[in-house]
Amino acid sequence: MATIAEPAARTASRFRFILDRREVLGSIFVAPAILYVLLLVGVPFLLAVYYSVSAYTIYDPSWRFVGLTNFRQILQNPVFLETLENTFLFTFASQLLGLILGKFGALLLLRPFPGRKIVRALIILPWAVPIALASVAWEWMFDSLYSVINWTMITLGIIDRSEAPNWLGNPHLAMLCVIVVNAWRFFPFAIVIFLAGITSVPQDIIDAATVDGAGFWRRNYQIILPMIFPIVAVGLIFGIVFTFTDLSIVFLLTNGGPINATSVLGFQGFQVGILSGDVSHGAAISLFMLPVLLLMVVGMLRFIRRREI
Amino acid sequence: MSKSRLASITRRRFLRDTSLALAAASATPMLSAPFASRAMADTKTLTIVQWSHFVPAYDKWFDKFAADWGKKNQIEVTVDHIPVQDVAARAAAEASAGSGHDLFGWNGAGGAHLYRKFLVDLTDLVESVEKKYGKATIIGKQLGYNLDDHTWSAFPDYYINFPAMYRKSLWDGIGMTPDTWDDIRIGGAKLKAKGNPVGISLGHSNDPNTTWRGVLWSYGGAVQDETGKTVELDSKGSVEAVKFVTALYKEAMTPNVLSWSDASNNQYIDSGVSSLIINPISAYRTAQQLNKKVADDIFVMKPPKGPARRLMGGAAEFYGVWKFAKNREAAVDFLKYYADNWLDAFKASSGYNNPIFTNMVPKPMPLLSDDPTSTPHDKLAVLQTSDEWSAVPGYPGPATPATDEVYNDFIICDMMAKAATGAMTAEESVKWATQQCRAIFDKWQHKA
Repeated sequence: MATIAEPAARTASRFRFILDRREVLGSIFVAPAILYVLLLVGVPFLLAVYYSVSAYTIYDPSWRFVGLTNFRQILQNPVFLETLENTFLFTFASQLLGLILGKFGALLLLRPFPGRKIVRALIILPWAVPIALASVAWEWMFDSLYSVINWTMITLGIIDRSEAPNWLGNPHLAMLCVIVVNAWRFFPFAIVIFLAGITSVPQDIIDAATVDGAGFWRRNYQIILPMIFPIVAVGLIFGIVFTFTDLSIVFLLTNGGPINATSVLGFQGFQVGILSGDVSHGAAISLFMLPVLLLMVVGMLRFIRRREI
Repeated sequence: MSKSRLASITRRRFLRDTSLALAAASATPMLSAPFASRAMADTKTLTIVQWSHFVPAYDKWFDKFAADWGKKNQIEVTVDHIPVQDVAARAAAEASAGSGHDLFGWNGAGGAHLYRKFLVDLTDLVESVEKKYGKATIIGKQLGYNLDDHTWSAFPDYYINFPAMYRKSLWDGIGMTPDTWDDIRIGGAKLKAKGNPVGISLGHSNDPNTTWRGVLWSYGGAVQDETGKTVELDSKGSVEAVKFVTALYKEAMTPNVLSWSDASNNQYIDSGVSSLIINPISAYRTAQQLNKKVADDIFVMKPPKGPARRLMGGAAEFYGVWKFAKNREAAVDFLKYYADNWLDAFKASSGYNNPIFTNMVPKPMPLLSDDPTSTPHDKLAVLQTSDEWSAVPGYPGPATPATDEVYNDFIICDMMAKAATGAMTAEESVKWATQQCRAIFDKWQHKA
């Protein structure tokens, strides 16, 4: 009887054995992302806290503990309080406008029409175009001397030259302009979010609702919107966080003017901390964003989790 | 075939191959470093960063000048030009990182005094230039000189003046010359009625920051005293200045000025609309290229006189050598050579760069005294005296981190704009600005 020799068992190395464990391999794969967040978000955040309680400036780059003095001084400044108010208005108004535009855009793009694929691709442009480039175009549109919007309205006889809006010179209109530009930038993202959400709603649910007599508005606001709300909320969190911390549109379009009417926290932090070299006050101004954003993100995430359960 | 190959890629093989590739990639620089660094050590380099000049021809001249100097001295010179609004942020980034260019060119407010601890002492260089070309003017001293220990943190290069530019035919038409600020208000109102308003920005940018300081000083007001330690803004002169600007805005200007950038007033006069602006001669030089008829009608004069004095803000430019610079010696040598050839720099800038050292460009100055491109040829002659009517933002005291922050926060512009738009009275507006300035000064006095 022939015997078949059993293959000699290969001694597995300790390294291979560790890599075979899913949880270890998973941790290794996730590690770069965690390292990235720690180095590029965690460390700057801790540095901001470190500087905000010090007297650190470019002029005297030695660290001296001053407690909460910087925060107290900032809160006593009426311009800062105005800036805080502007930041809330800028963030929430532009997100609301972006969401409305996104919802309507998504509904329009769901309907079949010739060239829909091209339009879907083009709609992403505001999101993809560098903001510096887009701001130059918007600046031209809102220019006090050569505004293409004013020129069109004057040419069409809608307004007289003397009553042409001073887009970036009137404090209220200037705020409206930066809100519109930010909403324009955000709405393609909102469209993508809404499209993803709406297409994930099972067609039989919509059909059933239609059979039960639900009209367009009821289907949209009592069936589709509640179902896609968790997805929309995640998009909204992104939008709010990015807008609340953004300074590019204000920096490029208005420089915080006229008379600080469009100054936002990110812009003021940059002006004080970087341009004027007062790093500690700049850091303290930036940290005022943290409690707001933290509360908002935690609140929305808890709400989403509850909805999912 | 390809299918079987793909199928044979196991997790284990993927990990092994990726690790090998990463190891090879990271080992390559380590292995080649000794050879590369030896090669790099043989080539000396000098890196320079400065703003993109408003006169593009100047940048071309400077790049060639620097490259030619590099060839003579076997040094590879790199010149980076960045937008003027990025200069302060770039300086902060380089200082924080402790790495960057060897030679840093600052523009406008902010700079040498703020970065003093990061900069090489250039006293020997400046003193040697002073011996050759005369003492540095007050503007140069206000920015680069340290009063406490009599040292220089930076090499003062040049300043940009802000003369008045007016359309002669329009002002002749109403029988006036805009010699005083009140002339501008009265004549400007007449010309505004004819469709040619005065154009001075009330927005957030550099031009209004310099121009409205000029008005403030001309009416006897100032942000600080001569020592630079006390805020003196809340004064009768300041209130008068704000009242004047309110009247000027209502009578001779349009609300458009509230949103203007630094380019807007140039466009306003070059397009033939405005009757007067306060600006460096770049506005006139642009008009020469775009609209010869308008350019011939634009005349340049000293800034208008106020009840107290005739004075206007100016923007100063200076070079600093970082302590962390890789080639400090070459940076200082380059500045010496540059100072000896400063007359060429002046010509290349078409008279835009004004000398800091008294005899650097002997009078009559080329171009300014006799500019063949202008009609008449002595149109720019008045600019030769601009050191008599120009000052930096700290006037009458030195420029300090506190005066920089007042400048960067547009407090003087907003003080004028708040009253002009009726948001506050002149008195309230001055009090608001004083409170803002005091908070900044107190903060810096505790930090400095």
